[in-house]
Amino acid sequence: MTDTTSVLGYAWPMVVSPGEEVAFHLSSPSVSKADAALVRVRCGDPDPAGPGIRVHEMDAPFERTVPLVHQVIRPGSCAIVADGPALTSFQSFTVGAFLWPTMPGDRAQTILSRWRADTQEGWRLGLDAEGHLEFVVAAGGRTWRTATSAALLSREWVLAGARWDADAGRLAVMVRSADAQAGRDRSESVEADGPTGLEWPAAVPLVIAAHASDGGGDLFDGFYDGKIDRPRLHASVQPIDGLHRLCESVTFPMADARLVAAWDFSREMASERVIDLSAHHLHGRLRQMPTRGMTGANWDGSTDRWTDCPEQYGAIHFHSDDMADAEWEPTVRFTVPQEWRSGFYALRLRTDGGDEPVESFVAFFVRAELGKPRSNLAFVASTGTFLAYANSALRLDQVHAEAMLEGVLTLSRDDVYIQEHREVGLSTYDTHADGSGWSISSARRPILNMRPRGNVFNYGNDTHFIDWLEEMGQDYDVITDDDIHRHGVQVLAPYTCVVTGSHPEYISREVWDAFDAYQRSGGRHMYLGGNGFYWRIAYHPTVPHTIEMRRGMTGLRTWEGEAGETALAFTGEPSSTWRSNGRPPQRLVGVGFDGQVFTHSSPYRWLDGAKDPSLSWLTKGIDLATPLGDFGLRGNGAAGVEIDRVDFSLGSPPGTVWLATADRLGYGGTPAPEEIRTLHRGVMGDQNAQVRADLVYFPTANGGAVFSTGSIAWVCALSHAGYRNNVSQLTANVLKRFLDPTPL
Amino acid sequence: MLVTYPEAAHWPIDPDRLDLVEEFRRQPRGPHGDELQKLLHRLRWAGDPDQPGRYVLIVTQPGKEWMLGRLPRQRGRPIELMRNHVFTSIAEAEWEVFKLRWEAITGRTLPPHLSEKLA
Repeated sequence: MTDTTSVLGYAWPMVVSPGEEVAFHLSSPSVSKADAALVRVRCGDPDPAGPGIRVHEMDAPFERTVPLVHQVIRPGSCAIVADGPALTSFQSFTVGAFLWPTMPGDRAQTILSRWRADTQEGWRLGLDAEGHLEFVVAAGGRTWRTATSAALLSREWVLAGARWDADAGRLAVMVRSADAQAGRDRSESVEADGPTGLEWPAAVPLVIAAHASDGGGDLFDGFYDGKIDRPRLHASVQPIDGLHRLCESVTFPMADARLVAAWDFSREMASERVIDLSAHHLHGRLRQMPTRGMTGANWDGSTDRWTDCPEQYGAIHFHSDDMADAEWEPTVRFTVPQEWRSGFYALRLRTDGGDEPVESFVAFFVRAELGKPRSNLAFVASTGTFLAYANSALRLDQVHAEAMLEGVLTLSRDDVYIQEHREVGLSTYDTHADGSGWSISSARRPILNMRPRGNVFNYGNDTHFIDWLEEMGQDYDVITDDDIHRHGVQVLAPYTCVVTGSHPEYISREVWDAFDAYQRSGGRHMYLGGNGFYWRIAYHPTVPHTIEMRRGMTGLRTWEGEAGETALAFTGEPSSTWRSNGRPPQRLVGVGFDGQVFTHSSPYRWLDGAKDPSLSWLTKGIDLATPLGDFGLRGNGAAGVEIDRVDFSLGSPPGTVWLATADRLGYGGTPAPEEIRTLHRGVMGDQNAQVRADLVYFPTANGGAVFSTGSIAWVCALSHAGYRNNVSQLTANVLKRFLDPTPL
Repeated sequence: MLVTYPEAAHWPIDPDRLDLVEEFRRQPRGPHGDELQKLLHRLRWAGDPDQPGRYVLIVTQPGKEWMLGRLPRQRGRPIELMRNHVFTSIAEAEWEVFKLRWEAITGRTLPPHLSEKLA
């Protein structure tokens, strides 16, 4: 058994140009050094029924032995407000916010604090281990505390606050339930004796959704799960009505000098800053990217987009397991030689001293430089999709996984690691520990399923196409979603033909527009996958290789976002499926997602469209009486896993030539939720002809064209029988014609 | 919040339906008849509620060898590796897990001719 996890790392940046430097941030808890090699990836799938792992060791000036140390990952999001005179210039005060806790009673959690855990000094409003609201003040070795008698409810809004009256020597905690009936009322106010004067600790930040571990300012603890809306800090003693007025207010007269801070989380939504509306400008910074653009306690359902009414989106959903940046120190750096071809690359790390041999890869991509193509063919690394699936724990956590996959779960060594090491951060398929959806994914962390020998979906499947190109002796450039997003159609335009792989599923508006413009201007697009161009995502405006997505009320979704929270915080755009954004994939590539099939894959049967004599270039050397692709590494067929179909009512172009279909998928063919209007029996593939994979071709403007296979399994059938098969032949025929500049 | 509940699958299993066991044994990877599909859905959905975790396979040699394991329901807890249960085909592994689940859910031991390893 190969140990793929004792050494882990990430490359930053994830995508580099020849001549640029890439840093490898590595860690190992058990190995002090490893043999390192830079490799060009041809095939990353270890399946012995296929080509197997095929990487080419690059001749590069690079250290052959790299030293390793253990670098920890510190998940958990919070807002940190640097210390300032305004935070210590008062004694009596009132603090509070609207809260929507998601894990009350799971463990002690801090909501608002200026607290040092190591010396137990300062003040802290939080939930105790049982979920009661508690308020603690402490100094000079003495601690005063008060707490509510009832635990807060999960996912119910409350106004929650506390006050310290130094003159009276009294503390209080206050809760007012937003929906105080039918068993939901947790309203109460509890007082206790407190100090009559305190000396605040020095140099401690104010922290929202956690507290400082020590005086260093870098370590935090006591992370809170749930939403916090409109936190306020006022240097006065307020009853709950006074706190309620403060929290309801969204504008503040500057004359109120006792207003220490009033944070408005709806400002600068795409940034990592939180803005204080008070005269003190106690702005904070967020760590580990909590979810913004969340409905507040005042959301009234009049809109589902924060851009329409930001004042109703003053909440941030913090998670104790948010993780956007592992913050590892770089271990080794490497400048990519100018002469390197673009492609999928990796740092391979090996040791053989322990019980098992270690072989761990750290993936990176070398892009073809903008405006400097070295081939007339480009293959797109679906980096948006790789990020969306990064470290997916779907099979580990979700009840439906085994039923969906139609068999006992088969887990890799990487899955075994992720089950134990949630600190690596999960994927947009997963839920946080509190059950809410994981909507942000970044590449500043080890991504175990985006590398050779990783779980073969997306990255591993796509390398089968690279393997085929190499086998065919076909030169190609590699470009990435991230670059297409940034530079638009300029990235695609130099190429006569562009190929998207097995699963180009996660697409920003900029990427969609680039493909649309490319196809309209004579470009040739081969889409060799399934479930492509499906979800609408955004890239972070300033942090590279970081995406956001929201799963709305339709689409094949492993979690469902809350009402009113389908707009992206990074851009304000609606998320969800492209189909629900007025752009069904059929309009761009002729076919669109309709279902899944995991029982087995199928061959296509040829349709009359393929028999048009004008398409003889496409079917040359292929027997149209023989099934197309009755073989392959994914379920023994070329049509399967996730599949797309033609639908003219959803935008398949009138000029679509419907070449072949796989429409007899059996009971394992399951339709996508958006394919069903009402509930009735008979929707599965054994009875439903709409659950199918379709193969299409259509010409576009200016001599361009599109060829789509509508199946994830397609590229995993290319290598069958020594690459001599009808899937390989058809792919080669189309590629050859698409690379011929003669207009189609 | 839309939740998927592990107890949702409730197709009643008849412990006398050894014909369904025989059908599965003949063809662990399918295709399966309607009633066997329902039985499998119930077993796969519930995920071994009588066990400390769901039975899973760990790939020890890609495409060649798998080990039985138990996936805890709680995040962060290690997967239990059952090193004495190693399989050289997925069908063999499916059959072993099916037997464990059938006996757990029916409370009955399978007769000798149905309790053997897959040939």
